[in-house]
Amino acid sequence: MTIKFDPVTLELLWTRLVSIVDEAAAALLRTSFSVIVRESHDFACVLTDARGHSLVQATDGVPSFLCTVPRTIGHFLAEFPPETLREGDILITNDIWLGTGHLPDITVAKPIFLNGKLLAFAGSVAHAPDIGGRIRTAESREVYEEGLQIPIMKVVREGTIDDTFVRFLRKNTRVPDQVMGDLYAQFTALDLMERRLRALLGEHGLEDLVALADEIHGRSEAATRKAIRAVPDGIYHADVVTDGLEQPIRLKLALHKQGDSIMADYAGTDPQVPRGINVCLAYTLAYTAFAVKAALCPEVPNNEGAFRPITVSAPVGCILNSTPPFAGANRALTGHFIPPMILQALADAIPDKVIAGVGSPLWSLNFAGVRADGSPIANQFFMNGGYGAGAAHDGANVLSWPSNVSAAPVEMIEQGAPFRIRHRRLRVDTGGTGEHRGGTGQEWAFESRNPTPVAITFMAERTRQEAAAPGLAGGGAGTPGAVLIDGTVVDPKRQHILNPGSTVELRTPGGGGYGDPAQRDAALAAQDIEDGLVTETKL
Amino acid sequence: MSALAIDIGGTFTDIVLYDDATGRFAAHKELTTPSDPARGVVAGIAHLFAAENTDAAQVDRVVHATTLFTNALIERRGAVTGLLTTQGFRDTLEIGHERKYELYDLHLPLPQPLVRRALRQEALERLAPDGTVEIPLDAASVLAAADALVAQGVESLAICFLHAYANPAHEREAARLIAQRHPGLILSLSCDVSPQIREFDRSSTTVANAYVKPLAEKYLNRLSGDLAGIGIAAPLFMMLSNGGLTHVDEAKRVPVQLLESGPAAGALSAAFFGARSGKRDLLAFDLGGTTAKLALVHGGEPLVVHKFEAGRERRFTAGSGLPLNISTIELIEIGAGGGSIAAHDALGLLKVGPRSASSVPGPACYGRGGTEPTVTDGNLLLGYLDAETFAGGTMKLSTEAAETAVGGLAAQAGLDVPRTAAGIHAVVNETMAAAARVHVAEQGHDPRDFALLVTGGGGPLHGCELARRLGISQVICPPGAGVASALGLLLAPARVDRVATVTRRLDGLDWAALDAEYAELEAQARAVIGATLGAGAALSIRRAADLRFVGQGYELITELPAGPYGPGTEAGIREAFQAGYERVFSRRPAVAAIEIINIRVSVTGSTAEGTLDPEVPVAAEGQAATGARQARFGDSPFSAPVLDRRRLAAGSEVIGPAIIEEAMSTLLIPPGARAMVEAGGNIVIHLPETR
Repeated sequence: MTIKFDPVTLELLWTRLVSIVDEAAAALLRTSFSVIVRESHDFACVLTDARGHSLVQATDGVPSFLCTVPRTIGHFLAEFPPETLREGDILITNDIWLGTGHLPDITVAKPIFLNGKLLAFAGSVAHAPDIGGRIRTAESREVYEEGLQIPIMKVVREGTIDDTFVRFLRKNTRVPDQVMGDLYAQFTALDLMERRLRALLGEHGLEDLVALADEIHGRSEAATRKAIRAVPDGIYHADVVTDGLEQPIRLKLALHKQGDSIMADYAGTDPQVPRGINVCLAYTLAYTAFAVKAALCPEVPNNEGAFRPITVSAPVGCILNSTPPFAGANRALTGHFIPPMILQALADAIPDKVIAGVGSPLWSLNFAGVRADGSPIANQFFMNGGYGAGAAHDGANVLSWPSNVSAAPVEMIEQGAPFRIRHRRLRVDTGGTGEHRGGTGQEWAFESRNPTPVAITFMAERTRQEAAAPGLAGGGAGTPGAVLIDGTVVDPKRQHILNPGSTVELRTPGGGGYGDPAQRDAALAAQDIEDGLVTETKL
Repeated sequence: MSALAIDIGGTFTDIVLYDDATGRFAAHKELTTPSDPARGVVAGIAHLFAAENTDAAQVDRVVHATTLFTNALIERRGAVTGLLTTQGFRDTLEIGHERKYELYDLHLPLPQPLVRRALRQEALERLAPDGTVEIPLDAASVLAAADALVAQGVESLAICFLHAYANPAHEREAARLIAQRHPGLILSLSCDVSPQIREFDRSSTTVANAYVKPLAEKYLNRLSGDLAGIGIAAPLFMMLSNGGLTHVDEAKRVPVQLLESGPAAGALSAAFFGARSGKRDLLAFDLGGTTAKLALVHGGEPLVVHKFEAGRERRFTAGSGLPLNISTIELIEIGAGGGSIAAHDALGLLKVGPRSASSVPGPACYGRGGTEPTVTDGNLLLGYLDAETFAGGTMKLSTEAAETAVGGLAAQAGLDVPRTAAGIHAVVNETMAAAARVHVAEQGHDPRDFALLVTGGGGPLHGCELARRLGISQVICPPGAGVASALGLLLAPARVDRVATVTRRLDGLDWAALDAEYAELEAQARAVIGATLGAGAALSIRRAADLRFVGQGYELITELPAGPYGPGTEAGIREAFQAGYERVFSRRPAVAAIEIINIRVSVTGSTAEGTLDPEVPVAAEGQAATGARQARFGDSPFSAPVLDRRRLAAGSEVIGPAIIEEAMSTLLIPPGARAMVEAGGNIVIHLPETR
């Protein structure tokens, strides 16, 4: 069947598809139970065609998920071919290598049928508040330490949920009500997408999505290729060093831009490590595509077509293409370096479109202990560093990128956790110098008020000088971060014990500056001094 | 006696005079005078008095709404403002939520704080979450900070200490010390403006209040003086964002509550006219030149929410503005209006808005230099508008200019002009429908349970098609859709909302203590209502609480029974919360403890004079049908009769397709729809069922 859509009909249908996933995302958010979904928006809703090729993603989704959900649906199809799927089935997995790269992310998908024919998949992924195993840490060596692994299976068969699965899941998590609540919220979103999609096709007299998918993919692909074509051909390199563990870890990129396609080659990247900071290939691809799109064509809609021109090659067993059973709970500590690395590589070709290094990845303080009354207590508090400067703007002081996860209010933290926060303020002199200054990081001081010691772990990166967020076009690097306990710098990749009355300080990295510092506007420089963000010596 | 409503908007100041005895109302539009808004008001009133042959002595009530304070925030024209915080937290205002409102834009402009870092100072003091003093307030640090700020030219100061919602003592003591030293400095305290947990949102709200407070004082003093000067002795009431009224002194004390007063009046008006047709669940739809607004009316009352965003960097993007804890009529703004420009995007799709030709140069058919095709150009070519009588005949539209503009777009798309014009109409309707669907779903409702009430120049034109796309089967068009909004000012009761953070679990709660805390809020609210209406007002008091399951991050606002509370109260509250939770979230956790975060009271009061019952004039003499126009609906051309609304008698029925014209708007009845003219003045359109 070949249907030619005119620009009006296509726009109407496309807008409706977007509003279907947006409506599903709103329903998921409102019916979820965990703070990580509700406050940090760590989830996504995607609609794919019958092949598992994504059509539309909810406007407010985590960027890595758009890429991983369709791939996970592809794995579902490999295990459950169309003839084995029934109306009312829902498939599930949290497999690291078939999913998003760490176990808390649970991917589910529902096949949608019309007149007995497989039409599409409604897909969703959400970060569960707990999946068992150790508290989120980089110290796990193997995936088996990180919690419950859910193989690809039908969690719902023709409308009936698998009770044995539910019992296993509940038994393996610290917060079963929240985990089940969030899973039902995901089901609610899938049901809604199914109902709305069928209604839409009915209204327009369409029997399947084949022609519409071709249009959506074709136009998005063409727009992406056009944007890529505007970049001069060549191989663009970037090398990045992360704090790593005892030794720094080196990531290596050769970005091959040829005609209207881009291939990111990560050959030369260090091998995977026996700690939970390894990245699976789907996550590497997701953040590669995210960065290329942000730099070249942020306005092009997100779907399979927009990704076709972008491919990735990473040696099997390197830290950006991990293999079982290497752990990945804190994969973001490595994976969040991919977008800045892509921008760094593209800087020579399109200096005006990229930004200097960002004080990412996402940082956090995790703790677990026992309250005065003997009850267990555990939580995780996020925080971010300074943003990178661009050709026309300073970097924002403290901004989440690329993950877009917020910090909790100090007053909320003190209400629920045995800490007094001594300060949470901008870190003076931490933004990289430049015509446009890098954003400053921030510093938090948590004083323990728990009557007994608590265990603490961190997500923290860019604490070594060589891992600082680099400047661009002559701009200076941002200041590295640091973690201190009672004034002494500690290894943030290890678990520590915080005694009653002790204070842990987290100082997040600054962003890189852009352009020659000598060219900085005198009025802006004076304002930084007046505002106390920069001291005279650092001008 | 008469009541006077004054609604100052960006372009026009609307003034409505309502005669209590006859139920008649008269309206006048005066150009807004931005440099001195009171001048336009006084001129407009004089004009209306002359036209209606009445005078100031007859006025016993004046109600006022204005966009001045919102605009001051958007245009950053407020006072030089300072902020005093707890030591260690001067940057809370700048760090904010750390989140981007648009993920893929690397160069995203973020809303800048209203107070720059140099004007943010710290005081030595510290409270625990329960309000206990951990570090006493150090007077010397407070005065040193104030001195430094005053030396830098600060006129208005916000004070926001950590956990001040739990204990206002330190903020009050700091204010006392500063007022003694610097009597001219205008102060805003977070414990007064927004006593709620979450320090960034509370700071943001307190600072926004401080930023507009000097302006509000000056403007309201001036307006009160000018009204007295023309002999109006009646008290001046101000419309709040939540749809209630208050007296001028309260408005000057917390002007941040007034930001959305204009739209609030519009929603009240929609609720009023909807009720006249027996509909209490409504989606109020107003379409103007650059934006469309949608507000939910549920059970006869506009929905009130307790969050607002001011001064957005990107007007139609949520999260791009300054968050404010104010109670406000719930509404969304969509970047779609008569002036919205249609164009093909990078992917070759037809998009309409959010770019707008505004009023200058305006749509191409205005003939004022606009060349890009707009929604109004499309509507003209579709036969929906009359080129000769548009906007009451004040402006002649150029069909030729519209054809040229739309023709360019049609050529790019390979479509003919009528098909392209129909496409513009369809796309802008779908844009609004998409926003409405998500919005209604977020409120936990189904749009098909609502009737659509249309106002504004474009609402009646697009209403039926929007309704069809949402599965809504009933559309209501009130009389004089253009001035319906200002009339809402006269419908408002006096209303005061108060909130306090308590944060405790329901099990083992000291109910007598909680009841005392509610009573304290009620006493504060009653005092304001008493000062607004006098002693004889009939009061209605409502209690609510922000509840959640222990461990969750967000709360559900739940209506609570009136006091007094005792140990027996818990079961009822638990039940009310769980029922509400199930309604919104469809299922709830099996066993979970509940905690109460904030308590809220809302006190409304009305007097006998406050009731409004506008008369609708009897249909004018003469034939309603004035002719017919070729109009296109979807892909088909029809010959649609054109009717003059003033001549449609109550009880008349109109079968679509038809076009019903009145002075400031055109109502479009699509084929298959049936419109009834009701005795109350509304036209109610029944669409064919699409459910």
